[in-house]
Amino acid sequence: MAKKTYDLLFKLLLIGDSGVGKTCVLFRFSDDAFNTTFISTIGIDFKIKTVELQGKKIKLQIWDTAGQERFHTITTSYYRGAMGIMLVYDITNGKSFENISKWLRNIDEHANEDVERMLLGNKCDMDDKRVVPKGKGEQIAREHGIRFFETSAKANINIEKAFLTLAEDILRKTPVKEPNSENVDISSGGGVPGWKSKCC
Amino acid sequence: MEEPPLREEEEEEEEEEEGEEEEEEADEAGPEGALGKSPFQLTAEDVYDISYVMGRELMALGSDPRVTQLQFKIVRVLEMLETLVIEGNLTVEELRMERDSLKKEVEGLRPDNKMVVDLTDPNRPRFTLQELRDVLQERNKLKSQLLLAQEELQCYKSGLIPPREASRGRREKDAHVARPGTARSNKEEKTIIRKL
Repeated sequence: MAKKTYDLLFKLLLIGDSGVGKTCVLFRFSDDAFNTTFISTIGIDFKIKTVELQGKKIKLQIWDTAGQERFHTITTSYYRGAMGIMLVYDITNGKSFENISKWLRNIDEHANEDVERMLLGNKCDMDDKRVVPKGKGEQIAREHGIRFFETSAKANINIEKAFLTLAEDILRKTPVKEPNSENVDISSGGGVPGWKSKCC
Repeated sequence: MEEPPLREEEEEEEEEEEGEEEEEEADEAGPEGALGKSPFQLTAEDVYDISYVMGRELMALGSDPRVTQLQFKIVRVLEMLETLVIEGNLTVEELRMERDSLKKEVEGLRPDNKMVVDLTDPNRPRFTLQELRDVLQERNKLKSQLLLAQEELQCYKSGLIPPREASRGRREKDAHVARPGTARSNKEEKTIIRKL
């Protein structure tokens, strides 16, 4: 019975300092909407969006992490299952750009070695408040051999393009085969210690 | 030549001390310097300096009996000043020690890397990281199940799945959900699914 709703499942992860707009970037992509009120993400959240690339239906399971340091131990346990990681900074926030090297180190430490990485300079609609020149973002991306986009979740600039490009990059190195399972595996990160005690 | 005839011994001592001070810190002002000090910084030594200077000047006035009378009163005043200064300095020293020990005590109550929590604050932190982790995991699990259910419902609505096949499809889906993506033991997972 052909009731497969997609061909491939890609797990993506959004990381970056608190307040750079990770949740808004994701919300724009998944719901094509934007919310100006800032609600800090608690720990980790996810959204699902199915896209079609090269004739294949690809289900994107996108994990949105809290940027705040206090959630660090929770969020880093979700790096392992990610096939693509978007590192977001805010072009109006110099500190968030400086911290890129820290986030890249986190990826090296916690993510799979072959994870596809991408750098996003968000809030590019706010050019009057820009403190990080586009060239600096391009430079650091070049140094690390990763793709770079300036985006705006608010003005809907490059959001879809960024996600689709990342998905394409993952697709390119995905061996052609049947999808292994249809479930939305929410346990990708760090085991499920809470379950063990529950089931005995 | 201006040595006061009286209290010769004392004077010699003072001179010695003066010499020492000059060697040590070059206290340029000499005994007169004590008169220029703030009263709150006066030490017993300063009082002796002042008494030396005044004694010398009284001597220069000669041996008029009125001067002698005045001298007694001045000596008395200087003694009172001496007592006050010594007392005051002791008090300051005691308070300083008390303050330091209290400071240490406070630090002892709040060691480094510890947090003081206000137990009357309704918003005080009270859950552990593990509890948060569990809640988030459960939330995300339920969310994914909701998404699956919505997707399935959509399929029914659009007629992709005929109602007869529905139950079979449902079972299959459950089985899929039960298959863990990571290397966790299958058994545990299935137990949970059964419970659900």
